[in-house]
Amino acid sequence: MRPPHFKPWRKAWIAVALGLPAVVLAVEGIEAKIRFADVTQKAGVNIVHHTRQFKGSTGDVLHMFTSGGSSAAVGDYDNDGFDDIFVTDSDAGKPNHLFHNNGNMTFTDVAAAAGVVKGNDPDAIVADALWFDYDNDGKEDLLIGRFGTPILYHNEGGGKFKDVTANSGFTKFGNTIASVAFDYDNDGLLDVMLGNYFKPVNLITGGDPHVLPNDLDNAVNGGGVTLWHNQGGGKFVEVTQKAGFAKHTGWTLDIGHGDFNNDGYQDVYLACDYGTDRIYFNNGDGTFTEKTETATGFDTRKGMNADVADYDNDGWLDIYVTNITDEYMKECNMLWHNNHDGTFTDVSRETNTCETLWGWSAKFGDFDNDGWKDLFVVDGLRSAGKDNYIPVVVNLITTPGVDFTDARLWPNIGNMSWSGYQKKKMFRNLGGTAFKEISAEAGVDNDKDGRGIGMGDFDNDGKLDLYQANADQLPYLYRNNSEGVGNWVQIKLTGTKSNRDAIGARITLKAGGLTQIHEIDGGNGYAGQSTKKAHLGIGKASKVDSVEVHWPSGLVESFDGVQINKLNKLTEGSGHKQAAWKVAKN
Amino acid sequence: MSYRRIILFATVLTALTGSVIAEDGNALYEKAAKAMASKDYNTAIPLLQQAVQADPDNLRNASELRQAVLRQTIAAHPKEGSTADFDKDIAFFEQVTKAHPMSANAFLNFGFAYVDKIAAAGSITQVILANTALTQFTKSIELKPTWIAYYTRGNSYLYWPKIFGRAQMGVDDLEKAYAIQKMEPKRSYHVRVYNSLGDGYWKTDKLDRAIEIWKEGAAAFPDDPGLKARLSKKGEDLEKYINDVLDPNKRVDTDLKELWRIQ
Repeated sequence: MRPPHFKPWRKAWIAVALGLPAVVLAVEGIEAKIRFADVTQKAGVNIVHHTRQFKGSTGDVLHMFTSGGSSAAVGDYDNDGFDDIFVTDSDAGKPNHLFHNNGNMTFTDVAAAAGVVKGNDPDAIVADALWFDYDNDGKEDLLIGRFGTPILYHNEGGGKFKDVTANSGFTKFGNTIASVAFDYDNDGLLDVMLGNYFKPVNLITGGDPHVLPNDLDNAVNGGGVTLWHNQGGGKFVEVTQKAGFAKHTGWTLDIGHGDFNNDGYQDVYLACDYGTDRIYFNNGDGTFTEKTETATGFDTRKGMNADVADYDNDGWLDIYVTNITDEYMKECNMLWHNNHDGTFTDVSRETNTCETLWGWSAKFGDFDNDGWKDLFVVDGLRSAGKDNYIPVVVNLITTPGVDFTDARLWPNIGNMSWSGYQKKKMFRNLGGTAFKEISAEAGVDNDKDGRGIGMGDFDNDGKLDLYQANADQLPYLYRNNSEGVGNWVQIKLTGTKSNRDAIGARITLKAGGLTQIHEIDGGNGYAGQSTKKAHLGIGKASKVDSVEVHWPSGLVESFDGVQINKLNKLTEGSGHKQAAWKVAKN
Repeated sequence: MSYRRIILFATVLTALTGSVIAEDGNALYEKAAKAMASKDYNTAIPLLQQAVQADPDNLRNASELRQAVLRQTIAAHPKEGSTADFDKDIAFFEQVTKAHPMSANAFLNFGFAYVDKIAAAGSITQVILANTALTQFTKSIELKPTWIAYYTRGNSYLYWPKIFGRAQMGVDDLEKAYAIQKMEPKRSYHVRVYNSLGDGYWKTDKLDRAIEIWKEGAAAFPDDPGLKARLSKKGEDLEKYINDVLDPNKRVDTDLKELWRIQ
């Protein structure tokens, strides 16, 4: 069990309840102006995503229901110290893109030379991507999630990748929209969880029109998840049933993992469309127990995203979920505050993070380096003509006894819009007590149909930049030009006994009177993977007081000499061994 | 349908909610009321169901049955209750309407049973429930175009977001309810139409007419907090207030007690 460190956040909550400005109780911080500049064209990443076109009478409807596959995965595949970006396309024959970071905030698409363009086959649709070093050879490998079978590329070095899918075990069909890698059994090898949207039938060739949700608030005919254990030697074996995930048949849109109960094992939150999200706690023996009813309660919302971070610096990971809040549907997002006892409380209304329209990806990141993680949320389903699809589709929804699963019954959307032209949302964290929307002043309130977010410090200037993947539109690459930001610490962890990517490792950093935790994640957040370099703002602090790393292997080490305003590389086994944290049951 | 005929039905309604209660139903109701007072819903609910079956047009028995179901499920399932419990109530009223297809008030309560479930349901199911409730309210109006039926359906239309274009239908119904109540002796529940009709005008961008009807209502009911609030607000404040009143996620009070309370 990892030791929690408690902060006087409750005092601030009381202040919020009393109507006092939350910011006055925040830890003394910096007065930065968070500003982003659109550098998409200049950076050379201006490529349009294409949603798959389907044939036949249900083509229009399936096109609409599969528009979620615009994703971005950030990772340094060539170990040159600059994070690169892999970007998916989804229409038949369209190439994926591997944007090599030239080190000067420009990128070159090297997908063809690297051998990673393929995936959009006549019978398969690319929908997600994930960088992870599955064989611990120090080079980032690449998994392509598809409505089909996944593709696993081994990084051969020298900018080349080899398709090793055939011998990997990833041969099972699924309509995969989410992929994460983490070491659920702490054996030093990264495992893979795939989140599947539709049930496992081929939407292109299957011919079954009964593929849509059987209930729009409590659907149970989705694709669920599959969990794949890394056996070593490039082999993966499905352990979904054994691990306890087989009963989940919801419409999974995202997977967020993290050690929610500070016991040293990775837990899982599943964000699900058309019905309840689910939370699973890791039993530490290769199995998980679902605790939705007691941890969060069941919901009927349209879960789209699960990002995990300790937004209030109390030493426990919290979870942010986007849902749909629009004129015709008032769901509200969920910011699950961790109550330190295996339960969570939704504080989205209290923190001003409830309404982000038709939400998709959301990412926590400290954009002004003040030590408090801010939040960027993308939204918008379909921006097209002036006519609105909602009054049309409501006729179907309210038809007595209608079979929602039958794609043939859904009206074509044609050129109609549906929750389109929605402004993106950025929220500044006011000391862990509340968030303030700053989208327009930050320069990120574009109205494209957002899907995924890839976050990283692409120019290594100590400020987090953002890549926003959009559906059927150009993306946005936002350079962080904020002024007056605080000092920062970046840490790149390398596991030796643990998985080399150090996914699941937790950094506890003390500086300037603030203690922060940061876990390295393997792809949290919808349709987007962020950098594996931990980025922690430290405000006005001029030094780091301490850094401790809890590795997935169980080793706990402190590290001396961690410098501010630099990237620090810490390797497992090279620090000062600390006593293992005491287990304290929730 | 002429207004004279509407008034006739309204008179019939008043009688139904007042003195003309079948003796058996009345006895059952009295027993149920005692059980309700001690929160013994397991006893009260079957008694009230019998009372409704004995006298399906009796608004009091049906309304009290729905309230008993509501209180029981919320006691067992805090916040908004269990959808399964509401489904049982819906099934009961469905059976009553099948057995008594000419009972306007049975259909009205059938619709209310759907409304009672809305707050416990997911966002899209809410739309389905609201629409189904409207279907039952329409059947009730077709059988007996009463003040309560017009008010109920008209007010229900107002909960639909503007994008669905149902607000004018709500105004049409509420104007009919208004016409009925203008020809009746003043009753406390008439204030509801002043509030809702004004909201309907506001939702259809007729702010002047909204203010006019709210003022008329305030003259008749000077202490009504809803009318006071509406008349004291402007612009975004008024919009926020009305949107809050018509928030489909908030439980709608479907208790009809006010109808048979001494005026």
